[in-house]
Amino acid sequence: MNVSYRLLLAAALICSPLLAKSLSAQNGAPAAGRERRAVPPKPIEHFSDGTVNLGISSQERGLWLPLDRTDLGRRSTLAPVDTIPFQPWAKALYDDRQIHELEPHTRCKASGVSRQFQTPYGVDIVQMPDLNRIYIFDVGGPHTFRIIYMDGRPHPKDLRPSFYGHSVGRWEGDTLVVETVGYSEDFWLDRTGLPHTEKLRTVERFTRTDFNLMKYEVLIDDPNVYSRPWSGGFNFRWSSNIELFEYVCQDNNTAPVLMMKGDEPIVLQKPFVP
Amino acid sequence: MANQGRITLTIAGFLLLALLHHEVLGKFDDKKSMTLNGVVTSVEWKNPHAHLMMNVRSATGVVNWAIELESTNDLERSGWTRESAKPGDAVRVDGIAARDGSPQVWARSVVLTSTGKKILDVRPATPPVVKQSQPTPLWPDGKPRLGPPPGGTGYWAYPSAVSLVQQGTSVPMDANGLLRNIGDVDKVAPFQRWARDLYELRQRNFLRDDPMFLYCIPPGGPRQYQLPYGLQFVEDRNFQRIFVLIGSGNRNFRMINTDGRALTGQLAGDADNPLYYGRSVGKWEADTFVIQSAGFNEKFWFSNGGLPHTERLRMTERLSRPDFDTLKYEVNIDDPGAYTKPWSSGWTLRWVAGEELPIYFCVENRP
Repeated sequence: MNVSYRLLLAAALICSPLLAKSLSAQNGAPAAGRERRAVPPKPIEHFSDGTVNLGISSQERGLWLPLDRTDLGRRSTLAPVDTIPFQPWAKALYDDRQIHELEPHTRCKASGVSRQFQTPYGVDIVQMPDLNRIYIFDVGGPHTFRIIYMDGRPHPKDLRPSFYGHSVGRWEGDTLVVETVGYSEDFWLDRTGLPHTEKLRTVERFTRTDFNLMKYEVLIDDPNVYSRPWSGGFNFRWSSNIELFEYVCQDNNTAPVLMMKGDEPIVLQKPFVP
Repeated sequence: MANQGRITLTIAGFLLLALLHHEVLGKFDDKKSMTLNGVVTSVEWKNPHAHLMMNVRSATGVVNWAIELESTNDLERSGWTRESAKPGDAVRVDGIAARDGSPQVWARSVVLTSTGKKILDVRPATPPVVKQSQPTPLWPDGKPRLGPPPGGTGYWAYPSAVSLVQQGTSVPMDANGLLRNIGDVDKVAPFQRWARDLYELRQRNFLRDDPMFLYCIPPGGPRQYQLPYGLQFVEDRNFQRIFVLIGSGNRNFRMINTDGRALTGQLAGDADNPLYYGRSVGKWEADTFVIQSAGFNEKFWFSNGGLPHTERLRMTERLSRPDFDTLKYEVNIDDPGAYTKPWSSGWTLRWVAGEELPIYFCVENRP
């Protein structure tokens, strides 16, 4: 569907709710959905070194978004909640977070894993084979990037915990496997508040099953929080004809002040105030 | 002798660079020295600055003081960890007091009372020695590589200047662009009157209103080339874009399109929305990479020292790599909203070989 047709359709939809009704009644499905089925997905590309291209291609630019916005809802997470092997304290914390939602992301903390794939703005995966690195650029959050080292290096000792820890990756066929340690506790694992500690280790598996779909699986291993390692995941969808754009959470964020008890003056003695 | 003098000056500059990241004098008064004896209650090992919280007993009772230290990056580079001081440790702190009288101190020295050992001090970072022997790394088409050679590691840091100053002028200032002599204001740039006065006001306030520090606002404009944790270039030649990875802010990035597009915005079009990093397109002119940028918002300081700019800012940056270890940065500022004419500034950065861009998040210690 070309852009002008889309515009026309959008204009028609806005101008005439009746027309919109009759259109969807005729088609039995939204027009865009039918169009998507009609066009076979583009072929997946590979780089000259044989690795599969997980990002933009010669065919089109785009970003990866969560497949379905319902994946972002409060009730869904990396796995059904009743299958997650929480330790009791962690379940209590998780339940509490459902009521007292103070997600660090809303206060412009960097997203962390797997939260970075659950923003409504998307990520760009940039492979640099000659540097032995893959970069993930976040749109949502404070405009942050993440590095995955592909040169076989080990995790260093004495890592200072950080939002993205230290990630090393390898290819298993066309699946990118990324192991990460050295996370800080300053983010939530997912949008619904799954807890973790600095002991967290993740193993993420990225598989571009077709041009428009990325299967994302993650192993969560944190013996402080969960009674055993467990796996979850969700899918990303390719959103075409957009590209990285500037979103800076700090732009108009007043949450830090709100978090400091509303109208009370900020106490300068607190260390977090510069 | 003249050469020696220059070297000494340069080293003094680097010392300052290593020791002050944000304008400490905006919050603390270097004329109010004080000594505190007390017991550590907690350690905040977070950027931008680490803190010890410490109980100090006096005639009127116990007060919990905040002891502000350098960034965790610099503390760790000097061999300290978040375990170096522990709750319960008795310490003596010498430092300077907060201007507003609140119970906080910028530490100049922390000593463990039990052993007399000095802890948490920062060794000045030594800039890498420039070796002229290595040639500039090249792409197969002969253009200089702005980043590491294939499979290599490194980044750019140790800028030779820390603030915009119009070319041909020398103005003494500290590592944050705070003028040594406030009378030098008019030498810095061809300011319009309002911009001059705003610059002077920011200077007279010791740069304490810097939004990069207060609110973790991104270091847009030339400022990303002035900060202590450096930057890196990722040249994604496959898809005609270059990323600037920024070691300050919140591990930020900036994208420069090299696909020949006009300077109007992203694919989906957002040309009306002013940005922190603006919109940038770049192309090679011989061995110089030339970046045109526009579309900036006014919500950040585009240079250390607090020089103002407006949404009319257009910036031309020229990057070249005369040898392996040197990045030459030149910038032309064209902002008819703030300056009486276009003007230029420039400096060099040094290649830090074999090291990764430091991990730094300004938001770390925010609530």
